[in-house]
Amino acid sequence: MLDSPEKTTSSVLRARPKPRLVTLSINGEPHEVVVRPHIMLLEVIRDHVGLTGTKDGCESGTCGACTVLLDGKPVLACITLAVECDGMNVQTIEGLSEGGQLSDLQEAFLDQAATQCGFCTPGVIMSSKALLDSNPKPTVPEIKKALEGNLCRCTGYNSIVDAILQYSGQGVKPLMRKDGAP
Amino acid sequence: MILFEFEHENATSAEEAVTRLHEIETETRFLAGGTDLIPNMRIGIAKPAHLVGLGRILREPMTVDGEGWLKVDALTRLAEIEHSDLVTSAAPLLAASAHTVAGNQIRQRATLGGNLCQETRCLYLNQKHDFQFVEPCYKRGGDCCYPFPKNKKEVCWSVYMSDIAPALMAAGAEVTVLGAGGPVRMSIDHLFSGDGLRPLTLNLGEMIRYVHVPPMGKDSAWGYHKSTVRGGLEFGMAVMALTFRLDADRESCKDARIAIGAVNEGPVRLSKTEAAMQGQRLNKKSLTELAEMASAEVNPLPHHGFSKPHLRDNIRVYLRRAMEAALARAQQA
Ligand SMILES: Cc1cc2nc3c(=O)[nH]c(=O)nc-3n(C[C@H](O)[C@H](O)[C@H](O)COP(=O)(O)OP(=O)(O)OC[C@H]3O[C@@H](n4cnc5c(N)ncnc54)[C@H](O)[C@@H]3O)c2cc1C
Ligand code: SF4
Ligand code: FES
Ligand code: FES
Repeated sequence: MLDSPEKTTSSVLRARPKPRLVTLSINGEPHEVVVRPHIMLLEVIRDHVGLTGTKDGCESGTCGACTVLLDGKPVLACITLAVECDGMNVQTIEGLSEGGQLSDLQEAFLDQAATQCGFCTPGVIMSSKALLDSNPKPTVPEIKKALEGNLCRCTGYNSIVDAILQYSGQGVKPLMRKDGAP
Repeated sequence: MILFEFEHENATSAEEAVTRLHEIETETRFLAGGTDLIPNMRIGIAKPAHLVGLGRILREPMTVDGEGWLKVDALTRLAEIEHSDLVTSAAPLLAASAHTVAGNQIRQRATLGGNLCQETRCLYLNQKHDFQFVEPCYKRGGDCCYPFPKNKKEVCWSVYMSDIAPALMAAGAEVTVLGAGGPVRMSIDHLFSGDGLRPLTLNLGEMIRYVHVPPMGKDSAWGYHKSTVRGGLEFGMAVMALTFRLDADRESCKDARIAIGAVNEGPVRLSKTEAAMQGQRLNKKSLTELAEMASAEVNPLPHHGFSKPHLRDNIRVYLRRAMEAALARAQQA
């Protein structure tokens, strides 16, 4: 049985759950946050730490916009409790660029127009990075399988697959000239 | 964002987790990967006051014993199972079914035990959003089943969506359940009540500890298919899993197990079709007849917009294909 709308936990909890200290390494930088158990990793990343590159889409695990790497694995920050991540390494989209310079993977996405409104892009790129970290030359079916949890409403996905093929040196040529002109 | 507060602690061993569930006085649940429980908490259909996290318990490596039984710690993540060479060779049905669950990010967190213990689903129940006013149905202590208002009191047609449970059932798997009285090993078939309101037979504080899968003999064949609409990150429309053994002639069926998931309150075995398969010479014609029989035997609940006739048709076609693939694989080997 599931719970009725009337049910509250505050009536059964003797005291408000105490906030606790959660230590995270986010993009290599140590962060200490104090959170109550119901706070999500996504809220910590966006609201406590202020890294808003990771997007808040559906908050129910269905869109992939909130994908970050937790100890190197792609996970959904919107359905992961912050307290469950204590002591772990988090990588977000901000961690890919260096000194304002986009990473090659991000450049490949720009080049193939694999990003339009851009809302899905941080999640898509984090999923792609996880794939490429373990499989530097993925096949098209492998790319599709790795990205099945990332929804994009703009690009139609083909350009995303092309961007990954281009980045991994698998026969897709850059669309833009080096000077940036189309 | 979860709109209510709850306590959380991490257990360091399975025994401790089970003990804590009996000690804590408020309503407490295990939290494994959280990929089923947390979304349900977010929409407020599950409101535990306390969570005991299982994520810090040291996971035991998967092993195959002398008789070929694969033993999997129920806390093992699905991503590890789907990519494991050991599982792929010892229990291909388990690997194939784990591969089809949700999307990669979810499989990285989701556990085998959590998959088996997931809540049943229905479009009405799971559609709730913060901005919607949704009257509670039977499953939430209300007095009506809104999508099926003619249902008798307390009859809930929510559907059990695990992709892995039918695969384990067809493989003849067993589970070790850890409760206050110690571990008990039983057939996975006994895990399911067939009641949409309380789909599992587990009592509060009982934990699935291990899943044991028997060896596939050289004479064995397996088939699996998950029907979906878009083919990725999707709950099943219908899930079909089967195993059978062939006689020395490589054509006649010694015995068979067929399990269908995602269309009832729990996974179901098709015992009539299984019995009809026994002793049959398996070829295109007989498999077509058997699949027709199976589609008549199964009694799918209409769910997520799919009607009963549509689901029956789907099962007839894809079960036949899964059986054909199984036979071809076994005859090639
Ligand atoms: C977008 C989305 C798509 C999904 N698609 C699919 C799909 O295609 N197929 C599918 O099968 N599932 C799907 N799921 C559901 C879910 O992700 C999986 O079933 C997953 O395997 C659940 O495992 P978990 O470890 O995350 O469980 P949790 O959410 O941690 O737990 C689920 C329930 O089981 C209990 N529990 C956990 N572990 C144990 C244990 N060892 N013993 C006893 N009780 C336990 C918990 O208390 C809880 O009540 C989907 C979920 C989402 C959000
Ligand atoms: S089928 Fe079950 S969960 Fe769905 S509305 Fe009816 S009672 Fe509620
Ligand atoms: S915001 Fe996390 S999956 Fe959509
Ligand atoms: S670029 Fe708009 S959703 Fe993907």
